Amino acid sequence: MFNMPVMNEQVHEYAIVTKALNREFKVRLKAEGLLASVRNFFSPASKTVNAVNDLELQINRGDIVGFLGPNGAGKTTTLKMLSGLLVPTSGSIEVLGYTPFNRDHAFLKSISLVMGQKQNLWWDLPPVETFAIHRQIYGLTDAEYKSRIDELIAMLEIADCLETQTRKLSLGQRMRCELAVSLLHQPQILFLDEPTIGLDIIMQKKIRSFLLDYHRRFNPTILLTSHYMDDVAALAQRVIVIDHGNKVYDGHLTDLTNKLHPEKIISVLLNDGEFVCKLEDGCRLIHHEGQHYRFMVSRNRVPELAARLYATGNIADLTIEDPPLEDLIGQLFTPDSQSR
Amino acid sequence: MAMFKADGKFAVLIAYFKIILTYRAMMLIHAIRLLLLPLVLASAWLSIEKTASNPYSDSDYLLYYLLVPVIMNLTDSRVVFKFSQAVKDGSLNRELLKPFPPLMSYLLESLANNALQLLYLVPFTLVFWLFVRDRVLLGHLKPSLLLFFVVAIIIGTLARLVVSGSIALLSFWIEDVTTLNLILNGGIWALLGGMIVPVATFPENIRHIAELLPYRYMLSFPIEIFSGRLSNSEIYIGFATATFWIILFAIIMHIIWKSGLKTYTAYGG
Ligand SMILES: Nc1ncnc2c1ncn2[C@@H]1O[C@H](COP(=O)(O)OP(=O)(O)OP(=O)(O)O)[C@@H](O)[C@H]1O
Ligand SMILES: [Mg+2]
Repeated sequence: MFNMPVMNEQVHEYAIVTKALNREFKVRLKAEGLLASVRNFFSPASKTVNAVNDLELQINRGDIVGFLGPNGAGKTTTLKMLSGLLVPTSGSIEVLGYTPFNRDHAFLKSISLVMGQKQNLWWDLPPVETFAIHRQIYGLTDAEYKSRIDELIAMLEIADCLETQTRKLSLGQRMRCELAVSLLHQPQILFLDEPTIGLDIIMQKKIRSFLLDYHRRFNPTILLTSHYMDDVAALAQRVIVIDHGNKVYDGHLTDLTNKLHPEKIISVLLNDGEFVCKLEDGCRLIHHEGQHYRFMVSRNRVPELAARLYATGNIADLTIEDPPLEDLIGQLFTPDSQSR
Repeated sequence: MAMFKADGKFAVLIAYFKIILTYRAMMLIHAIRLLLLPLVLASAWLSIEKTASNPYSDSDYLLYYLLVPVIMNLTDSRVVFKFSQAVKDGSLNRELLKPFPPLMSYLLESLANNALQLLYLVPFTLVFWLFVRDRVLLGHLKPSLLLFFVVAIIIGTLARLVVSGSIALLSFWIEDVTTLNLILNGGIWALLGGMIVPVATFPENIRHIAELLPYRYMLSFPIEIFSGRLSNSEIYIGFATATFWIILFAIIMHIIWKSGLKTYTAYGG
């Protein structure tokens, strides 16, 4: 008996398709004690939260898609449904032709979900032992295992933490080992839920460039959530923004940033004295505290303005940055922009 | 090695052996816990005046409580605690994402734990036995009896596992199943399984009820076989009764699992 659905024999244009996907949570009002638990078992007192609302997704094979939204938007819930952990309340999901919640082994062998740093790693064992267990579970041959593990160890630079008990590893080491375990079976789809959370800038960059490199070599479909603008900017060509379970944007990241925020922020720290330049069109002061100033500047005027600031000779420090992703996303959720 | 399919079960079992061995102190504490109560109960039963209707002699009581810790351990499964924790903290997620039977991991952990616990329990039991050796009669032991004994332990382990498993799976709905477990699988088991009072010494009508319920087969039954007090037909009836309960609870587990997964909200992340 093959467990493969008939659908799977066709070559799928899309890696992921969802139609009118909904997920509600009944949030149970907590019951105290056994008696109340038993009563609650038969007639639960609860309220309903709509975590995901009529979500329509079509994601091409081999794409990297950034999944954005404020806290509680429904990103993680969506990933859990796509990976088969959660059953949808209604609507349909097809991932590589499978219905995720059926959890066919062939399906599970072709995906990976990375959610936090101790999802897959055995806490009490060194990573190398988790690798060996995964090798058995996913039925890799010696040759496959050897070449893949060597490659991942080199790419992720984890040779020195393989023999250390996982609980003793640093966050960054653990995250990289976690990625290695999750990629050992070479999934066709990789779901990443905030893969760089809690990591320092250097480590974030390492993870990002690893993911790009890995994608270039093996071309998996990657769906990633992150709160860091840089992650999304570096990795995803396409972003999907959701808020309160509703999709509010789907398209190129550059279109989104240009449309929503045709400006950058210039932060300046003066050596001494006050700022004397007069503010012109396309430049406004958004923050001022002592010697520290922050300006919002039109993108096209940034180079010129920065040069002029340096020319004053009174600059101790100057940085140019994109507005925080949260601000950007926040704009999508104001009533007037939603009517678009 | 052609017969052995390397699908990860063996690797997971070995992993649990390794982990449990790093927690040796915990095992010792657990061993003491397992040994203490039977020791107290044995001395209580030895010190009281036996009534005429009591079929157990001092020798019977000694043998019974010598074996209780070992059997208790073999059929003791921590799945309830482990599983309810996994549902609460979302670590069940990781089991659900692997191409591996999701409950297998809990089963193998329990198995590894019980097996390793024997490293403490067997020597302790032998030492106790040395002390009371001339008061315990073992002359009746023969190979067929030992075979029945082993089969009864396996059946008892399975019975305990499916009953515990069914309670564990209620974690999908009930936040704290440990209380329920304490009553159904702890209290009732201790009373009707023969922990406090050996089932064979129950009053006639209560004994009949106990023989119909699954609890006796998780503790008293293997020891009754070992002590040579059961006829072959009594043994077969016991096996049949226990098998009935195992099948029933396995079906119950399957049903609870299927509907439980639909209510599972996969915490974490
Ligand atoms: N297991 C659960 N039980 C009840 N409610 C839940 C559960 N999981 C999520 N929710 C609710 O569903 C909504 C969406 O949550 P989700 O975790 O998907 O958000 P998110 O977009 O991942 O947020 P974040 O950026 O904070 O991770 C929230 O209102 C949350 O409270
Ligand atoms: Mg989330």
